[in-house]
Amino acid sequence: MCKNLILPFILIAFCKFTVYCQPTSGWQEEVNIYKQIYNAPITLINGEQTSIDKLAEKKPVIIALVYTRCTGICSPLLLQLKESLQLNKNNNNYTVLVVSFDSRDLIPDMRQMAHLFNLNNNSHWNFAITDSINRLISSIGFKPVWNNTIKQFDHDALLVGVNSQGYISKKLVGLRNEKELELMIGSINNVYTPTYRLPGQNTLFSCFNYNPITGKNKPGMGLLLIALPAILSILLLVVINKFVHRKEEV
Amino acid sequence: MIASRLKKITSLWVVIVLLLFVISIILGILMRLNQGDVIQLSPVTFYTDMTVHGLTMISIWYVAGMAAVNFIMERYVTTSKPANIIALVFTLIGVLMLWASTFIGKFHAGWTFLYPLPFKEMLKAWATPLFLFSIAVLGVGWLIWCVSLIAGMLKKYSLAQVFAWQYFRKGPKTETPPFILISMITLVGIVTCLLAAVILLVLLFAEYFSKGAFVNDALLIKNLTYFFGHTIANEMLYLGLAVIYELFAEISGKPKWKTTWYVALAWNCTLFFILTAFFHHLYMDFVQPEGLQILGQLASYLASLPAAGVTVFSIVVAIYRTKINWTLANLLFFIGVMGWVVGGLGAVIDATISNNFVLHNTLWVPAHFHTYNAMGNVLFSLGFFYWFSFQFSNKMDDNKLSALKLFFLVFGGIGFLAAFYIGGADSIPRRYSNYPDEFPLAKTLAIIGGSFATIYLIGILLFFVNISKRCVKILFSRSS
Repeated sequence: MCKNLILPFILIAFCKFTVYCQPTSGWQEEVNIYKQIYNAPITLINGEQTSIDKLAEKKPVIIALVYTRCTGICSPLLLQLKESLQLNKNNNNYTVLVVSFDSRDLIPDMRQMAHLFNLNNNSHWNFAITDSINRLISSIGFKPVWNNTIKQFDHDALLVGVNSQGYISKKLVGLRNEKELELMIGSINNVYTPTYRLPGQNTLFSCFNYNPITGKNKPGMGLLLIALPAILSILLLVVINKFVHRKEEV
Repeated sequence: MIASRLKKITSLWVVIVLLLFVISIILGILMRLNQGDVIQLSPVTFYTDMTVHGLTMISIWYVAGMAAVNFIMERYVTTSKPANIIALVFTLIGVLMLWASTFIGKFHAGWTFLYPLPFKEMLKAWATPLFLFSIAVLGVGWLIWCVSLIAGMLKKYSLAQVFAWQYFRKGPKTETPPFILISMITLVGIVTCLLAAVILLVLLFAEYFSKGAFVNDALLIKNLTYFFGHTIANEMLYLGLAVIYELFAEISGKPKWKTTWYVALAWNCTLFFILTAFFHHLYMDFVQPEGLQILGQLASYLASLPAAGVTVFSIVVAIYRTKINWTLANLLFFIGVMGWVVGGLGAVIDATISNNFVLHNTLWVPAHFHTYNAMGNVLFSLGFFYWFSFQFSNKMDDNKLSALKLFFLVFGGIGFLAAFYIGGADSIPRRYSNYPDEFPLAKTLAIIGGSFATIYLIGILLFFVNISKRCVKILFSRSS
């Protein structure tokens, strides 16, 4: 038990300082947003047969795509999610659905995973498998790649927010803080969030620069560019005035 | 004495503007008929027409105002003929490039070419750069023209005089004609928005040629687009007003209007507020800081009210219980001011944040801007064109024909605009090439709008034939 928790903790620390927020396939949180998720039939670890839509109808769903044989990001992702959700006291109208995208995973594997994270009796959490995993991940835009050398999937740490109508309203790639999880919970509950900026290295002259750590916007160079034409025309007016009068004097 | 060369250049401007106006109206009618399902255009053709229609209209009525201001300014200061010719040549080249990028290259991002639309796939890869270059060519020509006129005024008047600041003190010793004050205020505003266009184009070119290495901030580009687009669309109205301040009293046989402290104050306020009113185009952009949204609403009120107030007051004083020498020219000015005020009210209603939630991107938007353009600015310039063409002719116009022309313009114009206003009040969206069945009134209103616009076009054609004949005579005359 202790061993199972220490390893994820080390991995979280490692991820936070090195590959924080770095997905394997670039920033693609906007892919398939506002599209309907595939209504995959799922089997929960208690043996109940249901579907994603039926689950979402009861409460909006946060889907975590993992697999039990993962030696990489899956455990840190679930652990971080569990901790962040424990800190969230504002809105409890959600369910977490942990679905395996590895067809080798069976109900006992998922049951074991739930047990390891001490989530088997948590009413907010569901662990499940599906026989329609390819259609499900394709509707999300999630693309795990099998690496035969290490016998592992190369994949993003991905959380998908699905609202009660079955629409993907938000995605979070990478290990994200509790503020961003709050935004996701708000989003799946159809609570309007004004904006946040997706990071981009090649955008210059932004009007505002978003800091993902503080969650605040700071004025950027772009605002200065909006004021620039007025400043330039005043200067131009002064220069023309000087020029025409100097010419007269000469 | 107006130089013969200036008369000829102005005549050429008049003919070109009227010709392009007729073509642009036809494009507008085709769009309305397509929306009404009377004809079938492909969506690409519809949006190509929409792009050409909008940009050509803005361009021609801007240059029409400039040509009129340039012609009248010669009464006060010496203006640069080469700058006028450069603007003419650049405008022609710019319009041809624009038409090539749209009609051949199928650039169809609309006249606002809102980011990132210009970077989406058009039919031809060269369409986007050619379109951007066409705007650059137009902008350079117009900037040279504006700077030359500003320099001309500053040669005679000091900075304080040209802005009529002496009227804020008691007993001003020097006089600034209202025409000079309004022209200066307007030209400074135009230079500012053209500089905004320069920054905008540099950023768009940078993104286009960097092939993804540099990406623009959408909020910045939208702000710059409307800084340029909204401001120039409003400033061109003020060019027309400058002409009215100079000619209305003269044509009506009344004493010339003079600058007073309140006229000076109103127009100085207009200079500041018109440059910040464009923020009302970004109400739906929730990332824009709230302070700028509030400034947008306040500036929209404050930019329009002082200028409209003093102009309407001056006109009412000029005509109230006095005998007026009514001609087609001052009638066009008078109706144009009414159209400007009605369109301005429609604009202020839309620029009020709470109303904009309902009216945003509905037919109310084309309703108000077509009002102050088709029934405001166009009539200002037509009034000038008419007056100008008769300045150098001994022939008097037939009164019956004048009444008919006016009837076509006013009747056609009001019907055409009413279809837009009713559509806007019914929340029918604008910029749809075809209306779905969810908008049952949209198609009928489009047909009504298109039919009345055809009546308006007949009126314009009558003006075109009448004025162009005289202008061609001036153009080929040998007299000085």
